Amino acid sequence: RLSPRSAGAGGLAQWVLVELQGEVEPRQSGGLAGRLLGDLHYSHEGIPVLIVGHHILYGKVVQLEKPFAVLVKQGSGEPGPAGPHARYAVTALIKTKLLFKTRPKPIITNVPKKV
Amino acid sequence: GAMRSRAEVDATLQTAKLNPAEFLPTVHCLSFGPQVGTGECCLLQLEPGLCAELEAGRSLVIRGEKNEQAVLCSKDKTYDMKIADTSNMLLFIPGCKTPEQLNADQASCNIIHSQIAGFSNNYWELRRCRPKLKKLRKLLMENPYEGPDTLKDQTLTFPNYTTEDLLSLIQASEEEIMHQLQVIDACKIEGYWRILEFDYEMKLLNHVTQLIDSESWSLSKVPLCTCLEELGSLEPKEMIEHILLSYGRKYTDDAGEVYFEMHEDKICRAIAQMLLQNAVKFNLSEFQEVWQQSVPEGMTTRLDQLKGLALVDKSSRPETIFLLKVEDLPEDNQERFNSLFSIREKWTEADITPYIQDLCAEKQTVGVLLTKYARSSMQNGVKVYNSRRPIS
Repeated sequence: RLSPRSAGAGGLAQWVLVELQGEVEPRQSGGLAGRLLGDLHYSHEGIPVLIVGHHILYGKVVQLEKPFAVLVKQGSGEPGPAGPHARYAVTALIKTKLLFKTRPKPIITNVPKKV
Repeated sequence: GAMRSRAEVDATLQTAKLNPAEFLPTVHCLSFGPQVGTGECCLLQLEPGLCAELEAGRSLVIRGEKNEQAVLCSKDKTYDMKIADTSNMLLFIPGCKTPEQLNADQASCNIIHSQIAGFSNNYWELRRCRPKLKKLRKLLMENPYEGPDTLKDQTLTFPNYTTEDLLSLIQASEEEIMHQLQVIDACKIEGYWRILEFDYEMKLLNHVTQLIDSESWSLSKVPLCTCLEELGSLEPKEMIEHILLSYGRKYTDDAGEVYFEMHEDKICRAIAQMLLQNAVKFNLSEFQEVWQQSVPEGMTTRLDQLKGLALVDKSSRPETIFLLKVEDLPEDNQERFNSLFSIREKWTEADITPYIQDLCAEKQTVGVLLTKYARSSMQNGVKVYNSRRPIS
């Protein structure tokens, strides 16, 4: 059963999807949890700009024609069945995505001048 | 680690040679949350209408046992679920605002620390499908109701299903299941859904048709009250009413009396089934004679009443007819066509339509199915359909 979890006064929480090309890999080993991804800015025209490491990514805000529901597996810790036969709860809806499709522009830092 | 400060954010902008004045004052510092990568979160792409249902607080249910392909059910629709892969990475972020929201919110703070809840390169895709209702009949046929006097029912050893049981076992939405229960004339006996055993059903029907005959009632005005009075000593009153509901349309006249308008076609069809189930096939003209004689006074039999129940073999001399019930055939499209083509090599559209009509999805026609699963050719000036592949 996918029951919507109401968040306070409103209905379901609204999240945002960020779509990036390629894969997200941590530079150091040890997994991603807790690590910084980057800074997300918006220009005055509403263009999202993401600074990830030494890259600048330009994107656009897209209203999803088909929204997503975010499902969270219930009964954490149990070695239950994988896939659709596990129990899920709907935690949030996603109606907007930030699509970063352009190739990242590398940030070139100043080369120190020789004195 | 410590959260980023405004100074650090500004330093990064400077290094990137970006002018802070070109951006909204609020920045989101994105980091990966603690649960990221554990696979606890996944994405489900919603078909039109489902988003509104969730926002209205209604639930969606995923149904399917281990050996079945999972389906998603809303209150009244059923969807196949399939994983769709994308070459991109999808990050899902709570509390991340859009430029619109930031502009609208004048009192916005300078830094929002957003934790990415999860990421994925795939999501569940939905496709509307036909509800998988064949299992419903199969379950109820495990223990058909043969009447109150049988020993079987008194011991209640066979499987019996409540509405809740059916909801958890059948891969269809609640509305689709409830509608199908009505279509197959199921009834609730002591809280369990039951289908009548055919012979018992015919016995009940016969009581009613004999009474109609002896009372000389019009077939469109059969009084419920009198039926219950006259037949109540022979069979349970609930069963009398059930058979009237199954084979007639209930209505109330101006005086408030309840009557039934009997379905001539359905009664003729049931009697045909009763006759045909006794042998492999029948001589067509002999069958038609016996059939007409067996139906109640005032009813007329017609072969088109038997669509999806029996098939006429026009190629045999003399012509024959045999029982072929669509509900006994496979539910899967390809399997259905394989089955039909193994029964008969070539079919006319008129003959095959009753046996594939139920496979049509919303707004799909029989023609579309035939194009996909069959090959057409001309035979004696008539268009016929045969299998696309050799049948073993």
